[in-house]
Amino acid sequence: MMDAIRTENLTKKYNLGWGRGRLLALDGLNLRVCEGEVYGLLGPNGSGKSTTLKLILDLVWPTSGAAWIFDVPCNKVVSRLHVGFLPENPYFYKYLTGAETLEFYGRLCGLSGAALRKRVDELLEMVGLARARDRRLAGYSKGMLQRIGLAQALVHDPKLLLLDEPTAGVDPIGSKDIRDLILRLKGMGKTVLLSSHLLAQVQDVCDRIGVLNLGKMILEGEVSQLVSDQQRLSFTVQGLPESGRAAVESAVAAAGGVVVSVEHPQTTLETLFLEALRKDKRGAGEHD
Amino acid sequence: MTDARNEWVGFSPRRVWMIAVNTLTESVRQKVYLIMILFALVLISSASFFSQFGFGETGGQEALEQLKFIKDFCLGAISVFGMLIAIVGTAQLIPNELENRTIYTILSKPVRRFEFLLGKYAGSALLVLVSVVMMSVMFGAALKFKGDNYLKVTQQSVGQAQDAGTMEEAVRQMQKIRAAVYDPDLVKALLLTFVKLALLAAITLLVSTFSTSMVFNVAVALLIFFAGHLVGPAKEKWAESGAARFLLTLIPDLSVFNVADDVILGNAIPWLYVAKVVVYGAVYLVCVIAAAHFVFADREI
Ligand SMILES: Nc1ncnc2c1ncn2[C@@H]1O[C@H](COP(=O)(O)OP(=O)(O)OP(=O)(O)O)[C@@H](O)[C@H]1O
Ligand SMILES: [Mg+2]
Repeated sequence: MMDAIRTENLTKKYNLGWGRGRLLALDGLNLRVCEGEVYGLLGPNGSGKSTTLKLILDLVWPTSGAAWIFDVPCNKVVSRLHVGFLPENPYFYKYLTGAETLEFYGRLCGLSGAALRKRVDELLEMVGLARARDRRLAGYSKGMLQRIGLAQALVHDPKLLLLDEPTAGVDPIGSKDIRDLILRLKGMGKTVLLSSHLLAQVQDVCDRIGVLNLGKMILEGEVSQLVSDQQRLSFTVQGLPESGRAAVESAVAAAGGVVVSVEHPQTTLETLFLEALRKDKRGAGEHD
Repeated sequence: MTDARNEWVGFSPRRVWMIAVNTLTESVRQKVYLIMILFALVLISSASFFSQFGFGETGGQEALEQLKFIKDFCLGAISVFGMLIAIVGTAQLIPNELENRTIYTILSKPVRRFEFLLGKYAGSALLVLVSVVMMSVMFGAALKFKGDNYLKVTQQSVGQAQDAGTMEEAVRQMQKIRAAVYDPDLVKALLLTFVKLALLAAITLLVSTFSTSMVFNVAVALLIFFAGHLVGPAKEKWAESGAARFLLTLIPDLSVFNVADDVILGNAIPWLYVAKVVVYGAVYLVCVIAAAHFVFADREI
C-alpha cells in the first residue's frame, strides 16, 4: 500500500539570525504514515512537531532530507491536492463570518455554486457551529476557532488530514467531539496525522504514535502494543474446572503472587512518555 | 481512485480572483478605508463651497477661474487620498497574513505562492480603483453642479444683454464654461492617476515582502513616492553620469503621470502620450510584481 506520508532523513535547522547560529529543530526524521491510519506525533514543547508538519506542507524547507505525500514530493503544489491542514492556534480572517470563511476556502479548492453551499452547511453542522454561521470570526472563542479550523481543513474532503494540536484550548466536551470526529474520519478511510501533548486523548484515537524529543524520534509503535505491560502476565483460560482454578490460584499464591484480572493489563501512554523522555540523555537547545 | 502523481495544478486566475475579492472584503470591512474615502468625498464635494466664498457668484471671467480651482483642488485631493489608500492598504497585507498565520491555511491548500501574491496585489489595486472611481464621480458631480450654476447665471446675462456685443460675449463665455466642465482630458488625468497609484501599490507590496514592519513599509513607500516625482528633473540634471542615470531608472518617474496642471491650463493631452505613459507604468508594474515574487517565493513562512 502507498504511504500517505513518508519522510527520509528530514532535517531542519532554523537560522536564528546573524551570528546566532542555527537551531536544530528536527533531526533526521524517518516517518511513515500508512494510508487509513491515525498517527499521533507526540513530544514536549519545542520538540519539532509543528516543524514536521510545516516541512510536509512546504511552508518551511528542509535543510536536508525530503518528504512525500502519497508519493508526490512535497515541494510540488499538486502534493497538497488531497491534504487538509489545521495549524496550531488557528486564526482566520476576522471580518468574515463562519459561513463566508468556509465558502472562501471551498472556492480556493475549486468548489462553487450549490455544491459549495451544501458542503458549507454540512461542515458547520459537523463541527457544531451551525448557530454561529453568520457571526464574524472576530467574535469567535478559541474553541470555536479550532472548530472552524477543522471545518476549513475538511472543506475539499481531503484524503489526508494534518492536525496540529486539534484539541488545544477546547473544553472536555469539545475535545471529545473532536476525537469522535477524528474516529469518524478514520471510519471514512481518511488518514490523519495529528500532533499533541495531551497523551490520554491521543491514546483513544491513534493507531500508532511517535514521540519526538529535541527533534529526534525517541519512541514509536502501535498504541496497543506500547501500552501493554510487559512486567505483568495474565492468563485467559477456557474450560478450566473449578478444582483446576483453585490449583492455579493456590500455585500462584504459593509462589507469592496474587490473581488480579484476566486480561492483558495496560500501562498509560503518560508513563511511557515520561519514561522515554527520562531515558533521552541529550541536553536541551542544541546549536551548531 | 485519484492519484496526485497524475494530476496537475496549474496557475489559476480563478484562485487569484478569489484571494483578491477576499482581500478587498477585508479592507472594506475594516472601517479605516471607508472613513478615508468618506473624508475625501466630503472634501471634494465642499470644494465648490470654498470657491463660493473665495470668489463670488458671477458669470464672468471669475467663473472659469473658479472651475480651475475646483479641478486643481479635487485632482490634488484624489491623488493624495489615493496615495494614502494605496500605501496604507497594501503595506500591511503580507505582514498581517504572516503575523496572523492565515497564510498557512491558504498555502497548505493547492495554491501557488504566485497566485497568493497576485491575489493580494489585485485586492489592493481593486481597493484603489474603487476609491478613485468614487472620488472621481464625486468630483464630476461637484464640477457639474458648479458649472451648471455658472451657465444659469450667464444664461440670464444673455437675456438681459443690451447690445449684440455683450450677448455674443456671454454666449462665448457659456461655451468656455461648458468646455471646462465637460473636458475629456479630465478622464485622461484620472486614468493616469489610477495607473500611478496602482504602480505605487505594487511598489509597497514589494517592500512589504521583505519587511514585516508596517512603519518601515509605509515610510519606504512614501520615500519612493516622493523620490519618484523628483527623478524626472534629476535625470536631466545628471544626464552625463551613467551610474547616476542607472540608479535613477530604478525609481519610476512618477512625474510623467501628473498631467493635472496641463489639463487645468487647458493644454491638450494627446492620446499617444497617455498610451505611452500607461505602457511605461505597466512595464514597471510587471517588473515590480516579478521582483516581489522572487523575494516572496524564496521566503519561509
Ligand atoms: N521560525 C523559527 N525560527 C527559529 N526557530 C524556530 C522557528 N520555528 C520553530 N523554531 C524552533 O524549533 C523548535 C521546534 O519548534 P516546533 O514549533 O516545531 O515545536 P513543537 O513541537 O510544535 O512545540 P509546541 O508543542 O510548543 O507547539 C523550537 O525550539 C522552536 O523554538
Ligand atoms: Mg507546535
